[in-house]
Amino acid sequence: MTVQLQDVTVHFGRTCALEGLDLSVAAGETVALLGPSGSGKSTALKAVAGFVRPSRGRVRLAGNDVTDLPPAKRGIGVVVQQYALFPHLRVADNVAFGLKAARKPRAEVAERVGEMLEMVGMTAYARRFPRELSGGQQQRVAIARALAIRPPVLLLDEPLAALDAQLRADMLGELQKLRREVPDIAIVYVTHDQSEALALADRIAVMRDARLVDVAPAAELYAAPPSAFTASFLGGANLLPVEPVEGGVKVAGHVVPGLQAAPGESLLCIRPHAIRLEADAVPGGGGAAGRAGVGGEVLGVQWRGAFNQVTCSVDGLAGVTVRVDVPADRRVPEVGADVSLVLPVEACSLVLADGC
Amino acid sequence: MLVWTKPGKAIVWLAFAVVFGLLVVAPFVVVIAAAFAGSWNGVLPSDPTADHLRQALSGDELASLSVSLQTAFLGGLLAVVFGSWGALSAADTRFKRLADAMHHLPIAVPSVVVGLGLLVAFSRQPLLLNGTKWIVVIAHLVLMVAFSYGTVSAALERIDPSYAEVAASLGASPARVLWRVRLPMLLPAIASAAGLSVALSMGEVGATIMVYPASWRTLPVSIFALTDRGQAFVAAAEAVVLLATTVVLVLILDRLRGRAAER
Ligand SMILES: Nc1ncnc2c1ncn2[C@@H]1O[C@H](COP(=O)(O)OP(=O)(O)OP(=O)(O)O)[C@@H](O)[C@H]1O
Ligand SMILES: [Mg+2]
Repeated sequence: MTVQLQDVTVHFGRTCALEGLDLSVAAGETVALLGPSGSGKSTALKAVAGFVRPSRGRVRLAGNDVTDLPPAKRGIGVVVQQYALFPHLRVADNVAFGLKAARKPRAEVAERVGEMLEMVGMTAYARRFPRELSGGQQQRVAIARALAIRPPVLLLDEPLAALDAQLRADMLGELQKLRREVPDIAIVYVTHDQSEALALADRIAVMRDARLVDVAPAAELYAAPPSAFTASFLGGANLLPVEPVEGGVKVAGHVVPGLQAAPGESLLCIRPHAIRLEADAVPGGGGAAGRAGVGGEVLGVQWRGAFNQVTCSVDGLAGVTVRVDVPADRRVPEVGADVSLVLPVEACSLVLADGC
Repeated sequence: MLVWTKPGKAIVWLAFAVVFGLLVVAPFVVVIAAAFAGSWNGVLPSDPTADHLRQALSGDELASLSVSLQTAFLGGLLAVVFGSWGALSAADTRFKRLADAMHHLPIAVPSVVVGLGLLVAFSRQPLLLNGTKWIVVIAHLVLMVAFSYGTVSAALERIDPSYAEVAASLGASPARVLWRVRLPMLLPAIASAAGLSVALSMGEVGATIMVYPASWRTLPVSIFALTDRGQAFVAAAEAVVLLATTVVLVLILDRLRGRAAER
């Protein structure tokens, strides 16, 4: 394991910013730290980089305990949210900063800087100052600067957050390409955007209130989220309260067969695109028995281009709204129409109710 | 503008012009006029002459200008060094508030008191500085440190700590982070602290008058002494010299600051 965090806890005064984080990242692996604002993602990154001292726990790099080492002795590449390019240094000197600090021979520095600028496609901008660059260009320079020292670990703190939507999509592609150029380094990628995490990460660590909630391979976490929080934060799953019955579970009077509820699992989790909407044959509902799914009423429809996002209430579950993504080529029910929400059993999973 | 009618506006502007003219412009005009006046018995000065200016630029009086310049550069620049040093050391520590208070003490108390304190403190062995130019330089240093500290401290607070963090993560030692990242980023603030210190030092009287030895008389003290002896015209000429020198110095330092900010 290249990076290993063991029970890492960080306090700022009386606030606990990170509580008992256990996480490891292998060489060549990308792990995304995903969570809402203030959940302790940046703090976890700072603990790895050595910018904050954990009040408890150990940080190891390639098996060596570095908890008490200053950042300068760790050799980790860091890209912070606002990039922090040194404003008084030209692009080339920014990239050369770490190499010069290591007192590398001049020729080697020049060669490595050229190599790095080429990799991020910024060769033409070597003589510019940071303030003469766009946000996306600054970000490339920040990455080149961090990678110039050949770090075994690269930490990225919300690298796309400062960019606009179009550029964000482009840079996401660039980052995927970059990953292939440096196949051996461990990457920790902090984000609050689930689509970035899904696009880049091998594993996703979901954080909430200074704690790690779940960590698993991205596909697994998406398909079968272990907790209600992860289910809703990653992919915006619908959560419906269930009761266990013979041969399945019961949702709002409708039995979904074939699901086995383990003790404590009381929420059914289903993605918005997996629900099928069917118009009711008998308006006003012909009783639960006659339906293919759960009865409900359409509350609103928002056109999102490739799909329509339909919100529905559920009969018998006051206060619960369900999001359904209906592909644009399918017919969309009117607002106020009675519908059946069909829940295909293969798209359903059961999670623990953890208070959200 | 709160007043919209034409006459209303005119009245407001007139009132402003009168107050500004009386309080700010008039003293300058009078001093400059007096510097070139052979006599001033009526409403206006008469017998224009350059004699006072010539006198102000010769002998003892010229020496005063040189003393003032040396003191301003030595005291002012040392103040910038100590002020920046203090601001950098105090930043992000628990002692920040205490350091702020300590550095601001000399400008919170009257400068005469600072002068008196230094006089008492340095009039005895082993620290016998009374009677040397060093006690004047120290007085200016003590007063100007507060301004330098304040300027640099405020600039430091505006700089994101992630610059220093990133530099450290790239393998830079704390000394390298200081010299290659923190100080260059602070350069505009340090240059403006230097300008402020030199300008203030050029005009300092309160503490200087308590401590200066006969061999180290600054220009403002000379002006004070001349006026006291009734030589108002020569004093005015010296004031013009002081004014011109300070303006030129501040302009030069401002150019340097502009260059530092551009980089
Ligand atoms: N320097 C600090 N001093 C005091 N409290 C801090 C400091 N840095 C972070 N915190 C607190 O620690 C908690 C976690 O902060 P952190 O920056 O790790 O969150 P985050 O998950 O990165 O959020 P964001 O997505 O907004 O960047 C927050 O409650 C924050 O207020
Ligand atoms: Mg953050």
